[in-house]
Amino acid sequence: MGQHPFDISYVFEYFVKLLPSLKITLLIVFSSILIGVVVGLLVALPRLYQIPVLKRFSQIYVSFFRGTPILIQLFLFYYGVPEVLKIIGLDISKTSALYFVILTYSLHSGAYISEMIRGAITAVNLGQVEAAYAMGMNGYQAFSRIVLPQAIAISIPVFANLVIGNLKDTSLAFSLGIMEMTGTARTIGALSQRFVEIYISLALLYLLISFVLQKLFVYVERRLHRHESDTMATQREHSGRRRLFHKFESISDIPSKEARL
Amino acid sequence: MKIDLQFIWTALIELLSVVPTTLAITAVSMLCGLAIGIVVALIRRYRVPVLNSVAASYVTFIRGTPMLTHLLIIYFGLPVIIDSLAVQFGWSFRSVSIPMIGFAYISFSITAGAYLSEVVRSGLQAVEKGQLEAAYSIGMTTRQAMGRIVFPQAFAIILPSLSNSTISMLHGSTLVFTVSVVDINAKSQIIASSNWKFFEAYIAAAIIYWGITILIERLSALLEKRINIYNRGGVT
Amino acid sequence: MIKLTQIKKSYGRHQVLKGIDLSVEQGEVVAILGPSGSGKTTLLRCMNYLERPSEGEITIDGFTVNCKRPSKSDIHALRKKSAMVFQQYNLFRHKTALENVMEGLVIVQKVPKEQARKQSIELLEKVGLGNKLDSYPSQLSGGQQQRVGIARALALNPKVILFDEPTSSLDPELVGEVLAVIRKIAKEGITMIIVTHEMGFAQEVAGHVIFIDDGTIVESGTPDELFNSPKEERTKQFLKRFTPDGTYSI
Repeated sequence: MGQHPFDISYVFEYFVKLLPSLKITLLIVFSSILIGVVVGLLVALPRLYQIPVLKRFSQIYVSFFRGTPILIQLFLFYYGVPEVLKIIGLDISKTSALYFVILTYSLHSGAYISEMIRGAITAVNLGQVEAAYAMGMNGYQAFSRIVLPQAIAISIPVFANLVIGNLKDTSLAFSLGIMEMTGTARTIGALSQRFVEIYISLALLYLLISFVLQKLFVYVERRLHRHESDTMATQREHSGRRRLFHKFESISDIPSKEARL
Repeated sequence: MKIDLQFIWTALIELLSVVPTTLAITAVSMLCGLAIGIVVALIRRYRVPVLNSVAASYVTFIRGTPMLTHLLIIYFGLPVIIDSLAVQFGWSFRSVSIPMIGFAYISFSITAGAYLSEVVRSGLQAVEKGQLEAAYSIGMTTRQAMGRIVFPQAFAIILPSLSNSTISMLHGSTLVFTVSVVDINAKSQIIASSNWKFFEAYIAAAIIYWGITILIERLSALLEKRINIYNRGGVT
Repeated sequence: MIKLTQIKKSYGRHQVLKGIDLSVEQGEVVAILGPSGSGKTTLLRCMNYLERPSEGEITIDGFTVNCKRPSKSDIHALRKKSAMVFQQYNLFRHKTALENVMEGLVIVQKVPKEQARKQSIELLEKVGLGNKLDSYPSQLSGGQQQRVGIARALALNPKVILFDEPTSSLDPELVGEVLAVIRKIAKEGITMIIVTHEMGFAQEVAGHVIFIDDGTIVESGTPDELFNSPKEERTKQFLKRFTPDGTYSI
């Protein structure tokens, strides 16, 4: 390292070279978030409805996925799932590592998404539900017409953080040999020995995607919060973090990926 | 091939020897990160000219990119900077004398600093304005008011976030294998490949990380309870 | 003792204070009345520099600050001359009643801890809270918190105590206990400036009453003059609103 003097022109060159691998990164992000939402819902339900035994499983599930590093989870599933399946006579040793990556990130996101769902639903003011009942709505109507829309609006910033966090986490998939952005960058680095340039390109590419995702979610959020006054909307925009603190005081323990590194 | 329970135990015992490495990386990065975070939060709160926009870009960049890229850029970039400076100014110091773990400390502190600055900022904002005014009204200087009134309250408010960040740093510290530092994760890779028992080794690693995580959560809950005594209420 | 000269304050293009002149003698109790938004609270906060006046001069106890460009140390020195009792009490949430009162003594005035403690206990006893020394603000009622606030202000032995609507946030049944404490210290000859909506109280305690509207002093005089024979139309209009419900009696 360090044989080559730093040359900014390579940063641009490599940026372009990295672009094709963006596909794999986004594939991992979107498929795992999609599956994660389903998993999250399934995991959240037992705790929302206080189903005895299952509730306990949900807790352990969430505790495990929040309590261990995603890198360890990756290895654990990559090596573990085939072993376990071998016991019941299934041989999946030829399966592409990409599936294990998507599986791990789905289960991992699922844990965080379940907490998000739980937090958002608990955060909707009880008065809102009472008001819905008072005007004669039944439980289903109150939930789908009053609680759910509000809960979704509340969740958007947390969800945005989860997706961006997931994007950043995908940088670890290279450890299973996946040629997503980071994996590709490492290869380019090894071949060219221009490590600083390639990793700056890599960082800038992540930054660009984070930025686009962020803008997208702000747009969605603003649409969902149309019912609020303009001034509130502007404040909201200016102080994403602060709002998280005030409005979500009751659910301040929502594990946003953002608070994680 | 069956799962070798005995080996999980063996691996666990072997892994214990590197727990201090992981904890040291986590603790150093969090402490230095908190220091950076406080400075950045103050710069942004008081809108210090020039520095404010530098701080804002720093936070945006770090939050928008994976921690791994920070580590790699520091690992490959810092020696280039240090060595060229050393040549220019005739220092005898060369980047080769920086231990590998030093890169992890520096890079993770920079990462943590950006996230913690946002945590500190939200904490400062959450302390009522009246508290600062009351401090001024009894004649405190800004320094006294911040140090004795605002920061202690902000700290109590952000304690849960700090605990979350510590856990994230604990988990993030697994990245040090890319710069050849042997922490819990790297050690389990070694144990796994030398015994050809991957699943078992990673189960052992997962147990240790999970345990430390729960320990941090418990400790912070305990601390929170003690610190927040003043919020327990009573008469309204 | 206190002299304000042409205090002006604007927020953007909106002028809140339009040149206020005011002087208060040693030991005098001054009540400032006025409709909400009239600038009375802003005026009070300017005296303690919690708001920066845009222009004017503030003199307290011979120390003058020109508000055009005051230095940090000027502001600090001015603040040390006064103490403030807030509408929202603003007790330090993480400190007990006793610690709240001691804080200024120990940290600002560098009084030895033991002595500060003794003084603070005496003050808390004086406001009737000798049994609440170790309670945190969250464990006290609004009236109790405000009494701690008053003790905290008294502890500093300031030249003047500024009261910013000290009873406005209180439940009606708690107003009395706070007014009783203020009444008690008024009798001790401490200079006080009180912004209040309690007309009866202002009439009883104040030696001098000022009516502010729209950023200017409309009328001032003794309570008798102002309440019983107001000269200005705006004063009459304002006072009329208080007559029917009995908060203010002639």
